[in-house]
Amino acid sequence: MLVDLRPHSRLNGKPLEFLTSLAAVVEALEEGAEDLGKVRLVCDWVQYKSNFREVVDVRRILSRPGRQPGGDPVVVPLGTRDDALEVAVDLRRTAGAPLRELTGAVLRDRAEGARVPLEDWGPGSRGCIWDFNARYWKDLDLWEKSTGRGYEQALPGGVSDARNRDAARDLISGLFEVWDGLAAAGALPEELYVVELGVGNGGQAKVFLDEFRALDLTHGRDYYRRLHYMMCDYSQHVLDLAREAVAEHLPHISSFALDAVSPCTSLGFLKYKVFLVYISNVYDNLPTDEVAQLGGRTYRVETRAYLDAATAAVLAGPLGTTAAELPALVGRLLRLGPALLAEAAPDRFADVDAAVVFWREVWDALKLEERYVPLAGLDLYRLAPSVSGEALRPLLESGADIRMHVNNGALASFVDSLRLLHPYGRLVCHDLFVTDVHAYRSDFRGPGKYEGSVVNWLNGPLLAHVGRRDGFDVHCAPFAHRGAGNIVTMTAQVRD
Amino acid sequence: MGAAEQAELLGRLPPLPTTVVGSHPVPEWMERLKTDYYRGRMSHAHLLDLHETAIKAALRDQELAGIDIVSDGELRRDNDIDHFLGRMPGVDIPRTSKDFYYDYYEAAVTAPLPAPERDGGPLGLADDFAFTTGQTAHPVKFSFTGPFSLSRRVRNEAYPDSRELVLAIARTLNAEARALAGRGARLLQIDEPFLAGYPDQVRTAVEAVNVVTEGVDVAWALHVCYGNRHARPSWEGHYDFLFPAVLDARVDQLVLEFARKGYADLPAIGKFGWDRAVGLGVIDVKSAEVESPALVAARVRGALDLVPADRLFVNPDCGLRNLTGATARAKLAAMVAGTALVRSELTGTAPPITVGGAPTAQPSRSPREESES
Repeated sequence: MLVDLRPHSRLNGKPLEFLTSLAAVVEALEEGAEDLGKVRLVCDWVQYKSNFREVVDVRRILSRPGRQPGGDPVVVPLGTRDDALEVAVDLRRTAGAPLRELTGAVLRDRAEGARVPLEDWGPGSRGCIWDFNARYWKDLDLWEKSTGRGYEQALPGGVSDARNRDAARDLISGLFEVWDGLAAAGALPEELYVVELGVGNGGQAKVFLDEFRALDLTHGRDYYRRLHYMMCDYSQHVLDLAREAVAEHLPHISSFALDAVSPCTSLGFLKYKVFLVYISNVYDNLPTDEVAQLGGRTYRVETRAYLDAATAAVLAGPLGTTAAELPALVGRLLRLGPALLAEAAPDRFADVDAAVVFWREVWDALKLEERYVPLAGLDLYRLAPSVSGEALRPLLESGADIRMHVNNGALASFVDSLRLLHPYGRLVCHDLFVTDVHAYRSDFRGPGKYEGSVVNWLNGPLLAHVGRRDGFDVHCAPFAHRGAGNIVTMTAQVRD
Repeated sequence: MGAAEQAELLGRLPPLPTTVVGSHPVPEWMERLKTDYYRGRMSHAHLLDLHETAIKAALRDQELAGIDIVSDGELRRDNDIDHFLGRMPGVDIPRTSKDFYYDYYEAAVTAPLPAPERDGGPLGLADDFAFTTGQTAHPVKFSFTGPFSLSRRVRNEAYPDSRELVLAIARTLNAEARALAGRGARLLQIDEPFLAGYPDQVRTAVEAVNVVTEGVDVAWALHVCYGNRHARPSWEGHYDFLFPAVLDARVDQLVLEFARKGYADLPAIGKFGWDRAVGLGVIDVKSAEVESPALVAARVRGALDLVPADRLFVNPDCGLRNLTGATARAKLAAMVAGTALVRSELTGTAPPITVGGAPTAQPSRSPREESES
């Protein structure tokens, strides 16, 4: 058996204490039918209080060799381990937990089907948690009304870093410096484009535009007159609200309802023309797969959302339905949204508020099963429309065990956004980044639940590698205008 | 193939000859192997064999597409700079390993470059050329990066000003050009991908071009684009900046980028009195979308309003390095087919039913292109 105890700082000075408690997990495994020589025991500190994990989870490691396109067998390198099962323990919740019983139960549950799956197995990026995530942003007003708490209030410090005026002034000063240089060379275009992806309530746009106008007055180059600020968001409703927030700057504003994953679809006419693409707290909220290198083989993590059977029964009872019918009802909720669902199923929901309560309860109870499926080859796994899985090779080539996010949605958005940049343009992104691939071996990086949305940290080394391949220097640094916190500023600009 | 045969081949070109600017796609597997070389995981002999095998395949792609004047695809080169600076006597490369093969070397000149031996060919480009002509019966265009662009990647610690460095590099390239001509090269192209970023230095660049071409009796082309590093433009602007200085360049052909930027710059050629040949970019090498033959034909016809047919060559905007092989082959086939349509109109003959080999990616047309064509 291989035991992988991730060295989270909370374990400092007391790893033995945790190891002792893990003996109960091993005892439960001994009682089962598992070959202990093919078991991995992995212990994380899952810092998200609201998450998709049980205290003890079990993940099957599939070994089917498969075939390459054309029929050739997939080559399994000599010396790889042939583990069959991973047992995952959340160390944050082990204190006082009956680990032996929990482990035994989860092994039995898998055999007895004591869970209500909401979907089939598939890559993490295609799981229904992303439908929940999208629904949250579409019906944010209903969620906030139901919880009595605004999204931004739940952020650390109660305010988004995107509204930081010092940060905005830094960005604008950088733009002015570039524009002054281009103007001196007679190469400054008449129209100066700035794109914000994920404009939210318009708070950052307002700060940026207010500061821009003020700094331009001092600078005296009349850049404000030439400025075109392109506000982009997934939701037209959000865009409409954001436009109200920046009403005094409207002659300089255009708004686009678009999917952040593929901005060029709507903004293709701005290819190579944009001087700043600004993104704040969007990438962590886009669909992602995870990949793992275990014992010398590379796997994609497949997931399946489920409800514990007992919880499903509790949820179903008041609605006059059964646990078995819940997956279909959840599917309708995700397709229609709570308002239309209440209209479509008045026998189950008295009003919209009741449908929102159902939505929140399902989300709270939702967990993810996981399993590892071997990849036939990195080249056969497309990370984003124009990025092959070969981009993962530098991160995996050491051969050491690791599990990490691919951030497929963020990667697609990033690559597409780079196409918009003027040769002297910059992409600036504030978000949660893992900046060293080794950090995946210490801390848990998601997914977690954040209100009704999904949070994952971003694979900074992967984004940097892909950006580099496209000719960009990609640099990550802690957000400079707040004393503490996890937010990192990623900047990308043309290298040579 | 010798000089006489190359000259004879050039003399038999059809109207509106099709050609390439230089580079051919580098497949992902080749990228990995080339990077392996720079990380010490592959021997130099294997790298050379890899290059020669890839060049043969690139020539075959061009021949099947029906290209009239082919190139070696620049497949020995990691980028537009290092193949030249890395071999140039007097240029220091302190670190010769690379994280990725396409990275630029950090190059420095700490003492004046040694005077090259006349006809010496210190960079070995004549051997590259000879290998290529030994693999094809088509006329070959051979390109190399010009002195101005090479100088922009050199830290100058030897000359009092950058112009002196540019001219010193030009003298080395002149010796190289003499060696190339001696081995049979009849169509040489100087690439200046950095020039558009320094429009105030065109005169220096042209002065250096004339040093390179001095005494080398071949057909000379000068390629100026807006950059193609990682399939992105490095600069934006207007070809007006080339004029009138470029009129003094002792070259026979200007090879320019139009398909991506549009053809608004094309009238500058006539406006400033350029009376030599033009290599017309009709294929956008920064887009994976494959142009239709009809669109190519429309672009060529548009150019014929400004440049007579006997002075027009048809080529992509720039090198094909950053495209996939399938896309590049489809684009070349479309370029040849579109050119054939116009040729048939000029000569009054029926257009060919098939052109070149079967493309492996299907041409597609965007609404914008539909309206253009």
